[in-house]
Amino acid sequence: MRIGVDVGGTFTDITALDDDGAFHIGKIPSTPDDQSVALSDGVRGVLERVGASASTVDYLGHGTTVATNTLLELNGSSTALVVTRGFRDVLEIARQKRPSLYDLFAQKPRVLVPRRLVFEVDERLAGDGTEIRGVREDDLERLLLELSAVDVDAVAICFLHSYRDDAHERQVADAIRQRFPERYVTRSSEVAPEFREYERLSTTVINAFVGPRMHGYVSRLERRSRDLGVPVSPKIIQSNGGVVSPDSIVRRPVTTLLSGPSAGVLGAAWVAAQSGHRDLVTFDMGGTSTDVCLVRDGRALVASERSIDGYVVRTPSANVHTVGAGGGSIARVDGAGALQVGPRSAGARPGPAAYGFGGTQATVTDANVLLGRQNPDQIIGDDLRLDVGAAERVVGKIGDGLGVNVHDAALGVVRVANSHMARAVRQVSVDNGDDPRDLALVAYGGAGPLHAIEVAREVGMRTVLVPPHPGTLCALGLLVSEVRTELLRSSLIDIAGDAAPLRAVIAELREAAEQWFDRERIPTAERSTRFVLDMRYQRQNFELQVDVGDGDVRDEHLDEIVARFHETHRRSYGFAHPGSTVRIVNVTVIAAQPVQAPVAPLLPERDAGDAASVIARREVRFEEVGALSAEIHDRELLRAGDVIVGPAVIEQQDSTTVLPPATRSVVDPFGTLIVEVRA
Amino acid sequence: MTTTEPRQEAVDSITVQVIGNALLSIAEEAGTMLRRASYSTNIKERADCSTAIFDGAGRLIAQAEHIPIHMGSMAGAVGRLSGRIPGYEQIAVRPGDVFITNDPYAGGGTHLPDITMVAPVFTDGLIVGWSANIAHHSDVGGHVPGSNSGDSTTLFMEGLRIPLVKIVSEGEVVDDVLAFVLLNSRLPEERYGDLLAQQSAAAIGAQRFVELHEKYGTEVVGIASHELLGYAERRLQLAVEAVPDGEYTFTDWLDPDREGEDRIPIVATVRVSGTRIALDFAGTGREATVAVNVVRSALEATVYYALKAALDPGIPANGGFFDAVEISAPEGTILNPRQPAPVAARTDTCQRIVDAIFGALAQALPDRIPAGSHSSITYVNFSGLGDNFYVYPEVIAGGAGARPKADGLDAVQVHVTNSSNLPIESLETEYPLLVEAYELVQDSGGAGLHRGGLAIRRDIRILGDGAEFSAHADRQSLPPAGYGGGLNGTPGRFTVRPGGPDERVLPGGRVSGVLLRGGDIMRVQSPGAGGFGSPLERDPQSVLTDVLDGRVSAVAARDIYAVVLDGATVDAAATSALRSQRKAD
Repeated sequence: MRIGVDVGGTFTDITALDDDGAFHIGKIPSTPDDQSVALSDGVRGVLERVGASASTVDYLGHGTTVATNTLLELNGSSTALVVTRGFRDVLEIARQKRPSLYDLFAQKPRVLVPRRLVFEVDERLAGDGTEIRGVREDDLERLLLELSAVDVDAVAICFLHSYRDDAHERQVADAIRQRFPERYVTRSSEVAPEFREYERLSTTVINAFVGPRMHGYVSRLERRSRDLGVPVSPKIIQSNGGVVSPDSIVRRPVTTLLSGPSAGVLGAAWVAAQSGHRDLVTFDMGGTSTDVCLVRDGRALVASERSIDGYVVRTPSANVHTVGAGGGSIARVDGAGALQVGPRSAGARPGPAAYGFGGTQATVTDANVLLGRQNPDQIIGDDLRLDVGAAERVVGKIGDGLGVNVHDAALGVVRVANSHMARAVRQVSVDNGDDPRDLALVAYGGAGPLHAIEVAREVGMRTVLVPPHPGTLCALGLLVSEVRTELLRSSLIDIAGDAAPLRAVIAELREAAEQWFDRERIPTAERSTRFVLDMRYQRQNFELQVDVGDGDVRDEHLDEIVARFHETHRRSYGFAHPGSTVRIVNVTVIAAQPVQAPVAPLLPERDAGDAASVIARREVRFEEVGALSAEIHDRELLRAGDVIVGPAVIEQQDSTTVLPPATRSVVDPFGTLIVEVRA
Repeated sequence: MTTTEPRQEAVDSITVQVIGNALLSIAEEAGTMLRRASYSTNIKERADCSTAIFDGAGRLIAQAEHIPIHMGSMAGAVGRLSGRIPGYEQIAVRPGDVFITNDPYAGGGTHLPDITMVAPVFTDGLIVGWSANIAHHSDVGGHVPGSNSGDSTTLFMEGLRIPLVKIVSEGEVVDDVLAFVLLNSRLPEERYGDLLAQQSAAAIGAQRFVELHEKYGTEVVGIASHELLGYAERRLQLAVEAVPDGEYTFTDWLDPDREGEDRIPIVATVRVSGTRIALDFAGTGREATVAVNVVRSALEATVYYALKAALDPGIPANGGFFDAVEISAPEGTILNPRQPAPVAARTDTCQRIVDAIFGALAQALPDRIPAGSHSSITYVNFSGLGDNFYVYPEVIAGGAGARPKADGLDAVQVHVTNSSNLPIESLETEYPLLVEAYELVQDSGGAGLHRGGLAIRRDIRILGDGAEFSAHADRQSLPPAGYGGGLNGTPGRFTVRPGGPDERVLPGGRVSGVLLRGGDIMRVQSPGAGGFGSPLERDPQSVLTDVLDGRVSAVAARDIYAVVLDGATVDAAATSALRSQRKAD
């Protein structure tokens, strides 16, 4: 049995795939104080329900937000930073841009290491990696003395040009570990060995800041998993969509910061691929925001750098674009008479007015309830009914501001939110040279299927996919992810007839990959490595990737590699400069243990004895046509091959799908709704 | 040519907003296309470019904003083409045309490296709009590489002047014009790629705008555009209404344009009456003899930045803004120069205009306006001597003014620019230079209840045969002002061989041809910002934090803030006694 457990802010989702190829799903409230409690209870619950023993679990994949929350809530460890002399302010100065172009009151994100805890070492490498000044023993001793005088739990080390030669960082790290064995010590040449000092430094500091807490969490997680009787060690998902051992995570917790959205994209791409769609935009709408990501040929586009609340992290992740529009987004009419929706959100508390937790501002959810799109008789939580009257009052006020009735106001709120999301979908498509009209939209998250079809129509997309369980795609992503890491060396190499320098770097990385495989205890036969070069024209300041497969690069291959760079440049930007000097900037090895991808279970076709899927009718309002009587379907009762024509609403435990008039949807053999959108 | 005159028929406000978002999407897609297809780092990575959509009458209705100074920079070209700006000969415009210009006087530009392209948008044979973009090119000729000199004395030294002409005619590239432009750049290959990218971006914007018209109908798009303009105007009016009526004047100063000359006054008078606001720059100094003059479109972009930042950052980027504000500057001054006055380094002056406007507004809105910021571009340029020729340009940030409720930000770009630095690890790999230090400067922020942002010091050692140094920077003679009892910041400075026996401080910020030998260090220090409120009112704990973090020296803590420290704690009794005594003095 394979099990995936994803921890969200409110719920922890469990998806299990048994040996017969059947899925089982569980959902229990998250336990923020120790996320592994919900993991343990959830897994036990699913196993009991299925009647399986924990000893049959041969894979336990886990997505955790411990590092992410530690950074967002700024409650990580007290951290010291050790840098090259003259550069104690690289973290403060960053790229010298201000946080907001026009807002004079905006603050920079709080630096994670106050200036008094930044220590300089009188060492220096030149740009080509040669040593200008080595680390002197007396200077090192002075540093250790200074470090002994401060109360910190973690130490980050980042020297200039350490991506070329890590000897100085290694020397200082070893000395600090030896003197302070209880401190979490991390160095940039291990965390993000890439040129560009600010980004590398920032990533290393964040790693130190979240490191001790992640260390504690992982220990608890392993213990609970053992106590459950699960015979394998859990694997934890990283932002790159690959899972690794707890040991790897303790070393580089920074690689998990964006793992949640990445896991969701992975799950969505997998579901879509089963249904034959490999070029798409994923659309994950939750309570406060919507994440969209371009997937090409079944793989999410990768970003090598992200900013989280202003903190820059350089680790590969799905290139997710976030827009501040979700179910809880607050609507208001501004002084100049325009309806604004988001980016402020009512969150889970007080939440939408209709939830009855004291929300007094209109939200997108309130609008959906009034429009009949979300079931007004729905029961939320402990037998609480939606407070439709409250929704009417708050949305009515929006109507007063706009001079329209409450229903038109609700439609307006939804249309404005949709237009923000449409803009984001267009952006991720055109940013990469794709026309969104050639792509399918995959809707998930609690609110995704409520809005996706109208968003697709606004953008001109023709197909929307709604997976069988839109609320648990992150946990599903955990089931289909492989064990994988990327190891990178920054190494400026001119490509000019001699492959030896490149071969040397590749050999070094191959060795590092083997060490990693050993640590992950991956059998030799299951080790796969692939090498990728970051290349650019001389004096350009941006790179493109060229895949060189198994890395067996010989002199006679160099011309072809250069030709492929020119071709990639042409494909990405529409032109190339065959005469210009080409340089390699980084070499990356992608080390993986490929997963035996599961096949999605089939949904049976309709039998004569099956109950009809229509369970009710109610009035649902749409743009232009107003109120229509729509069929309400129970997703559980749908069968493969069923056709539903809008207007209709399809309800299920974790989501609601709204089909506007003139849309037709078919339930495909895997249970995914394939919606045809007409302009 | 006809324009769409909006009728009174209602388009509901939601549809207006949906169309507004769609228009932004169009501008953003054109911007993406421009960056993807361009060749030079400046456009591709630093995004020193902007894209916009105008209505048929030549009014800006959507702009994808990257750089504040670009706001309105395209309106000059579109205004001349659409007839909105009177006094220009009408040019026949046909479907498939793309126009090019960079001229500050004849084409509505702000300086020559910024090249604008404009394509008309036709439906049913009528012009319903314009798709425009602007991009900063890394060289358009002139007397210095980069075409961005601080010390040129006439526009003719600054590069090729391109009047408003067709570069694409009915879909065919006008090769004669293209060849003309390329031959006048030191980097013709780069120019070729960037100019093609601009044409493609103008075309994709026009095509998408046509599709929008097909989707909603020309009439609805026209009305929605009109509503969007009205909305921006109302936003500004509402913000202005909250400013007390009155006349507020502030004078700030630009460093002398030449050694031995006086500083140049920049005088801003802000008149507020109800929902109307007028900015009058009468009293401002004469046209400068060097490249710091500001033409009309640059002045408008600067006013847009200043009012939006000070009054309402949510005002959308469209031409409706300019319907609610009146701007005037006397002819022959640095803010209304006559051609061919040089303009390349206009942003130094634009920064000072913002300081002057903020200074005036602070009298009306003391709780909203920060103290003086570094407000200098601090552009430095090293080029190699001997066999190894290279050009390394950099812009160094400085302190931002203390806010009425918070300290100023350390080491950031302010006002009309927000460009990033080149990583040290990149520059040391590309050029024979070694950075010895890159750090905040202690005590450079003006003291106050809230402290001004700190300046940056960067020490650059020249390796190899030596280098030539040129720069344009300001605020080297007069520091950024403190407000409300806050102290001034500190001026910037260029120092050759600091701390050595032959140390030399350069006479000012606008220099060229400074020769540096191999091994020399060039120290670049930017200005630190002004403080806000009395330093004697600053929370002693904040002073302690600054001392522990090395932002403020222990000496300044005692002498300026009157805070008595006892190791790592505040001696509260002694501090309170010292402060009472200071206040009594």
